[in-house]
Amino acid sequence: MGTINAALGIMSGALDADQQALNIVANNVANANTPGYTVEKPEWQQNSPITIGGISLGQGVTETGAESQRDRVLESRLDQQKQMASASGSRLTALNTMQALFTPDSGSSSSKAGDIGNDITNFFDSFSSLEVNPTDNALRQNVLSTASMLAGDISNAAASLNSQRSALNEETAGIATQVNALTGAIAQLNQQIMTDSPNGDAGTLEDQRQQDLSQLSQLIGINQITTENNGLAITTASGQLLLSEGTSFQLTTGQANGMTDFYLGGTDVTSQLASGGGSLGGDLTARDQDLTGALSALDQLAYGISTAVNTQNNAGQTLNGVTGSAATPIYIFNQPAAVDGSAAHMSVVMTDPNDVAAASAASGTGDNSNAVAIASMANQGIVDGQTPINFYSNFVASLGSTVSTVETENTAQNASVTQLQTQRDALSGVNLNDEASAMTTLERSYQAASQVFAMLNTLMASALNLGDQTAVS
Amino acid sequence: MGRERPRLREVVVEASRALARLDTGRLEELALSCQALNREMAEADRGRRVELAVESREAQGDMAVFARVLEATRANLHVMNRLKELREGRLEYGGAQTRLMRRRESGDGDN
Repeated sequence: MGTINAALGIMSGALDADQQALNIVANNVANANTPGYTVEKPEWQQNSPITIGGISLGQGVTETGAESQRDRVLESRLDQQKQMASASGSRLTALNTMQALFTPDSGSSSSKAGDIGNDITNFFDSFSSLEVNPTDNALRQNVLSTASMLAGDISNAAASLNSQRSALNEETAGIATQVNALTGAIAQLNQQIMTDSPNGDAGTLEDQRQQDLSQLSQLIGINQITTENNGLAITTASGQLLLSEGTSFQLTTGQANGMTDFYLGGTDVTSQLASGGGSLGGDLTARDQDLTGALSALDQLAYGISTAVNTQNNAGQTLNGVTGSAATPIYIFNQPAAVDGSAAHMSVVMTDPNDVAAASAASGTGDNSNAVAIASMANQGIVDGQTPINFYSNFVASLGSTVSTVETENTAQNASVTQLQTQRDALSGVNLNDEASAMTTLERSYQAASQVFAMLNTLMASALNLGDQTAVS
Repeated sequence: MGRERPRLREVVVEASRALARLDTGRLEELALSCQALNREMAEADRGRRVELAVESREAQGDMAVFARVLEATRANLHVMNRLKELREGRLEYGGAQTRLMRRRESGDGDN
């Protein structure tokens, strides 16, 4: 009888274990559409066998709990790729807005930043026209009109860039608030996980923590460090502590030169955050690198043209026979005191067309030699050693190249995120694809794509050689 | 009437997209198209070669994107392979325990 009871006991235990396993499966199905839910699998443990009279007798099986099918390394890799994609995405959005500003025919009808190249040419051409008839009032008026157009378009571009920079600045401060909210929530979850499940998978709590980490990764570049008792520490990409187990450290802000700087524990981490990733990194890079660089280039352009043209005009003689001096200068443009801010303040200060000094100081008022000198500045290195039009063209070309590079990076990073999500879903999501199949797909896709790439590369290399055939001696 | 051949640029962009979503079937189709293109290139007259040269220049930027996506895929594949090895290592550990238990049971004579 004892043996039958034991057998029934084993069967009953097995049925209980099966029932618990079925509950886990039912929970998986019920959560099939729950965002961030990770499929759980029952854990089975063989009961210790007993030995009676030298014979070992099995005691069946027990269901010991559920373990989520997650892989922290994969999640971490996915988060890292999201940080990079998010950073390049934010930066690309800002760069595209900048590029649109410098596209010809952009802006309002009265002032078009995209026409700066034409404005430069028209301004110096107006002096070439004045050379022919230096006393002609219409030609003198044309010099002031083209100068106004050039100054207006440059200052308008600077205003637009400054306004974009301020908008990005506000956005970064908003992101910091979201980061603080998320690190606070993760610290609380950490505490709960460490108390409830110090040695095992925390299931739903772990899912919540992973979801928060995933959101945090889109905002800021982070490193995750697993600590004792299933806890977690998070640092910024450059190693400053954001949270440790149950304690979070707030990202604080301060103002410097009208822009928001970010601090962690009293240390300024703005530049580290800019290179760290996430949308905060992308926005800060756009704010402090791309927009600042563009503003600086415009300042150099405005400063170079204004200073050179003003100096030459002041050295000449007006139609009224007046020669400029240090005390009473005769300037066309507002004379900038320094390079910084030159573009934003660029304007035409001359109101009387007769003040355009076409004649040299030593000649009569009908002379054109000073107009010739100003016209020739179009071909002189008056802006950072380059001609004004070359300087501007190089700036626009450099901006285009940056946009193209960031676009390439962003496309590749998004593709990588898509691939990793597919792999993650196969491993930890609730679907019917199994992990092996997902792995095979990844391998086959990579092999097929490598073949496509190699063939296209060969094709293009030979097409480019054969398209422009050169004589072989 | 045969369908007009897609421009090289379209092939490259489609390859990047297919790789991003791990569409193996589409990538294998594209590989066949590229084989056909290479054959066409070998037999092409000068006019056609010049056309392909123009298309190649046009597709340079998209090839750079494709190269970056391929590089990211290789990195992902590397990570996944390492994870697979890690998991197999864990299974091997479990397997060794099971084998030890089996050996003990055999020794007990109830097998």
